[in-house]
Amino acid sequence: MATLLRLSVLCGAQGSRGLFLRTPVVKPAPVPALLQDRLSPGWCGVQHLHLSPRRLSGSKAASLHWTSERVVSVLLLGLLPAAYLNPCSAVDYSLAAALTLHGHWGLGQVVTDYIHGAAPQKAAKAGLLALSALTFAGLCYFNYHDVGICRAVAMLWKL
Amino acid sequence: MAALLLRHAGRHCLCSHLSPQLCIRNAVPLGTTAKEEMERFWNKNTSSNRPVSPHFTIYRWSLPMVMSICHRGTGVALSGGVSLLGVSALLLPGNFESYLEVVKSLCLGPTLIYSAKFTLAFPLMYHTWNGIRHLMWDLGKGLKTAQLYQSGVAVLVLSVLSSAGLAAM
Repeated sequence: MATLLRLSVLCGAQGSRGLFLRTPVVKPAPVPALLQDRLSPGWCGVQHLHLSPRRLSGSKAASLHWTSERVVSVLLLGLLPAAYLNPCSAVDYSLAAALTLHGHWGLGQVVTDYIHGAAPQKAAKAGLLALSALTFAGLCYFNYHDVGICRAVAMLWKL
Repeated sequence: MAALLLRHAGRHCLCSHLSPQLCIRNAVPLGTTAKEEMERFWNKNTSSNRPVSPHFTIYRWSLPMVMSICHRGTGVALSGGVSLLGVSALLLPGNFESYLEVVKSLCLGPTLIYSAKFTLAFPLMYHTWNGIRHLMWDLGKGLKTAQLYQSGVAVLVLSVLSSAGLAAM
C-alpha cells in the first residue's frame, strides 16, 4: 500500500514527455523595480520557488499516461509466468492486449525522442497507430483461428 | 543575518499581496504552448545549419548508458517481432503448424536449435529484468551511482542465466 501511495506521489510530480507538449509555458517575469535592489550583485540570499497550485495546472493527461504505462508494464510482467503456468484463452487475449499496448506506448516515446517538427511527428504517430492496430488485430485473429500465443510458443519450443 | 531574514519575509509578503492567485514567484504565463515553442526551436535551428556539438561520439560510454540504449533496442526489436507475428497471421496462408513442419523438415542440429532459442530468449529476458530495474527506479529505489552499477551487473547476469535456462527447456 505504501509503495502505491509513493507511486502516486511520484506520478503527481512527473509527466510524460509526449503529452506535456500541449501545456501552456510559463516564463520568468521581469523583476519589479522596487525589488531590483534585492538582486544586486553580492546578494546571496536563497531564491524561493513555489510550485504552481493545483488549480492553475493544465490537464492531468500526461501524469495519467505515465501511471498507465507503469500499470501495463506490471500487468505484462505478471502475464509471463501466468502464460507458462496456466496457458488458456483468457491469458492469450490478455497477452495480445498488454503486448501491443506496451509496445505502442514504448514506440511512441521513441518517436517523441527522435522525430522533431509537428508534421513529421504527426505522420509517424499515425503510422505507429496503424501498425499497433494491425498487430492487435493479427494477434486476436491468431488467438481465435489458430493455436493461440501460449500454445504457439510451447509448440515452437518443443522443436 | 536578521536583515537577510527580514528581506526574505518582506519579499514573500509583498509577492503574495501583489498576486495572491499566482504563487509562482516571478513567473508569467506565455501566449504559446510548449509544442509551439519546440516547433519554433527546431525550425530555427534546422534552417540555420549551425554546427552541433558532438555528444555520444565523444562522451565516455558507461555501463548504465549502454544498458539504457540496449533496453530501448531490445524493446524495439521485440515490438517488431510481435508485429511480424500479428501481421503474418493476417497475411500469410496456412496455419502456424504448417510453418513449424517446414522448420522441422530442415532437420537442424541440436546446437543450432539451442542457439536459436537463446537468441530469441535473450532480448526478452534482458528487457524484462532491466524493465524491473526501471520500475524500481520509478519507485525511487536504487538511484545512487554504486547501486546503478550493481543492479546493472545483476540484470546482465540474470539475463544470461535465464536465457540459458529457457533455451534448455
